[in-house]
Amino acid sequence: MRQLSNLPLPVKLISNQEITKSNSSRLSDILDDQSGIFIVSDFGGGNGIQVQGLDSQYTLLLIDGSPIIGRQSGTLDLDRISIGNIEQIEIIKGSSSSLYGTDAIGGVVNLITTMTNDSISADISYKFSSFNTNDLSINIGKILNKGHNLNLYFNSFNSEGYDLNDNPVLNTVEPYKSYTAFLRHNFKKNKWSFFSSSRIYNENQDFTLDLNSYGRNIINESSVNTSINFQNNESHKFVFENYYTNYKNDEEYDLNQNSIDESFFDQSLFKSELRSIFKNDVKNTLTIGLGFYSETLKRNNFYKDKVSQNSFNYFVQYEGFIFKNTNYIFGARYDQYDEYESEFSPRFAIRTQINDNISSKISIGKGFKTPDFRQLYFNFSNSNSGYSVIGFNAAKEIIYNLQSLGQISNLIISEEEFSGNLKPESSISFNLGFNIKTYKNIIFDLNFFRNQIQNLIDYKIIATKLNGQSIFSYYNLNKVYTQGIELNTAFSLLNDLKINFGYQYLEAKDNEAKNQIKKGEVFARLTPNSPAFQIKPKDYYGLYNRSRHNLNLKISYVTKNNFEVYFKSKYRSKYGISDTNGNNLLDDFDEFVDSNLLSDMSISKKYKNYNLTFGVDNLFDYTDPVNIPNYPGRIIYSKLNIKL
Amino acid sequence: MKTNIYLLFSFLLIFSSCQKEDEVQLLNIVSERFDNLYAPQNGGVDQRTGQFSPISGEFTKFNFSTGQVTNSDTDWDVAFRATDIIVNGGTSLGTIDEPSRNGSAAVYIANGTMAAITSVDLQSLSQDADSGYAIPPGGGNGWYTYQGPPVNLISPTPGKILVFRTNDGKYAKMEILSYYKNAPDSPDAYTDESKYYTFNYVYQPNEGELGF
Repeated sequence: MRQLSNLPLPVKLISNQEITKSNSSRLSDILDDQSGIFIVSDFGGGNGIQVQGLDSQYTLLLIDGSPIIGRQSGTLDLDRISIGNIEQIEIIKGSSSSLYGTDAIGGVVNLITTMTNDSISADISYKFSSFNTNDLSINIGKILNKGHNLNLYFNSFNSEGYDLNDNPVLNTVEPYKSYTAFLRHNFKKNKWSFFSSSRIYNENQDFTLDLNSYGRNIINESSVNTSINFQNNESHKFVFENYYTNYKNDEEYDLNQNSIDESFFDQSLFKSELRSIFKNDVKNTLTIGLGFYSETLKRNNFYKDKVSQNSFNYFVQYEGFIFKNTNYIFGARYDQYDEYESEFSPRFAIRTQINDNISSKISIGKGFKTPDFRQLYFNFSNSNSGYSVIGFNAAKEIIYNLQSLGQISNLIISEEEFSGNLKPESSISFNLGFNIKTYKNIIFDLNFFRNQIQNLIDYKIIATKLNGQSIFSYYNLNKVYTQGIELNTAFSLLNDLKINFGYQYLEAKDNEAKNQIKKGEVFARLTPNSPAFQIKPKDYYGLYNRSRHNLNLKISYVTKNNFEVYFKSKYRSKYGISDTNGNNLLDDFDEFVDSNLLSDMSISKKYKNYNLTFGVDNLFDYTDPVNIPNYPGRIIYSKLNIKL
Repeated sequence: MKTNIYLLFSFLLIFSSCQKEDEVQLLNIVSERFDNLYAPQNGGVDQRTGQFSPISGEFTKFNFSTGQVTNSDTDWDVAFRATDIIVNGGTSLGTIDEPSRNGSAAVYIANGTMAAITSVDLQSLSQDADSGYAIPPGGGNGWYTYQGPPVNLISPTPGKILVFRTNDGKYAKMEILSYYKNAPDSPDAYTDESKYYTFNYVYQPNEGELGF
């Protein structure tokens, strides 16, 4: 595994201790505690990450360097990932496609799994919390003879769900249960070292649609990851990695006990990568490599029964030093696709230790995200609904066929607009950071960022049918940017009192919307009975779901008799989730979701191999059922951990 | 995913009854407000059952010179059916119950406040065609913005002024204020009845005059 902290990139590491201390169950919990990161729920119920103002679909999530898949509507649901066997979480902010390829626009989150250091170890945790939620984790590690290291992890999680609405039949979150199993094996012999892991995840949820209609949702995930490392000589090694993962979601509805409706989503990814790493001395490293991806998807409401895509990539990265105090990375990657233009993603980053107390980091990189299969081949349309949504590639033929049947009444886009290919979304990301050590070891970490994204894919109505149905499709519409400042500081007041503070200022705007406002083309009206007026550039608030300010405070205190008190608090300023005054953008005259402050507190006591924790999340019982259905309200829990 | 993503899109249909207001006609430029022009349609998505059926139903026709809703097959300028707006000029798309065009009406959408649109840009005028209406349908394309779940509201886009040539070659401009009955200040798609147009309009009755 690579050591990320010395890289000249904006990197945030979350240690196993912090994960334990936060009493997090799922990945969404621990990421939500980080400054500059928001957990945003989509209408499909998935809880996704927002980094540097960029959505979940622009962030890559890796376990031991290999990507997690299963983004049914773009969002990767972080509640799927249990973190009981995670040694460290690495977050690289900003675009990193030069190393990771597609999706690494907003950032990359890499989870490193645990490997035991003891001949035998066992770690068992059980957490019981409100809404009858049970979370059980078992970690067993064993070092066998002849260099084998085995680690087994099992997690069972179930919850009764919760209900924030008035509807007597529907619940906000229905009861569900999930299981995770993870097996990791390392083996070292002479010049060879081997790594392999497999992961299985299962989630089950039954739900009610109305009095007589029921449904079931089942998610099954499995993956196998292998890596072979051959140390050719002191300065050269090969790494050969293979990874296969499959994500399946089946949903069934019993509608009024007589008809059954089914939906399915079955995605697979195979990834193979060969790297050759040269280290001519301690400081300079050259990596060259090539890789292959093969992705397939079968789902209902699709234009084809099965869609697939293969791509090759080639990359090079050089890490070196100039002078005594400066290290840099130059990296570039070329991804070759059949369906769209190939992508070249360079990056340059440099870090300078200006003096004993100050270092600076600058990085400039390109990021991209290929259109997902849904954006290309979706074909959702049924007689029950007044609309269809079709993918870009499917649209060419579907529209043509409907036209020849004389069924299209209004064609809103021209045919030329569908003659080419959908372009990958791409970004240029800039980060400038300073790390400043001041008096008494107080550390300030400051980072300025800007991401300019173009060819953003969105959907809109492209045609209406004679019977009045609307047809939506995806295409490259917008240019947006996100920019801001992130500040983190950590210090100890007394020996036992540690404080972490974080702040992020964020602006996320659509370039075109900004231009239209500048040109005086955007208006607002307070009520239907008051006159319309032109809005000014300063009235433009920006993209939906983005808060300008985010504050984050963590305090931990260890008492003399070994009680550990941990308090954390997160503030998020107001944000908009939709345009309420009809001008198609979010401005100061729209309605906003109120700012909110969430605070958690826990007390734990260690006794020999036991650690008992009692805690309360969301102390002040904040809820907003309409706008934030993923806040269930106050949660009280206790947790027992046994280390053997 | 814990619930179904297709719930993302849902559209509105609420059926209700009709109401009219008296006309006012002046010799000079007419500047008026018309309340609650009811433009029902049949079919579409029933909000209660979620069932879709082909859209049909008579368009509600409006005549600028009388300032009134009319049943005439010829003396109308603009007509409404739910969110669709057509003009009496050009070609019919051929949707069910769509009237044939026999006048020379045309329309374009100008950006600005009602007061700021002071004359007609003849070059921008276009008529309905068999490939599409002059006022494009769909939220964000034409005169309105559709605000998705959870509110599902249809809001007239502020600053969109419809500039018309009438069926007999005169000019008018229109600002749609509300799509809900009695133009409530904070409409609620679930309780307020929809398809009730309230709009301001200015009509230039003099032949060949382009200014308002």
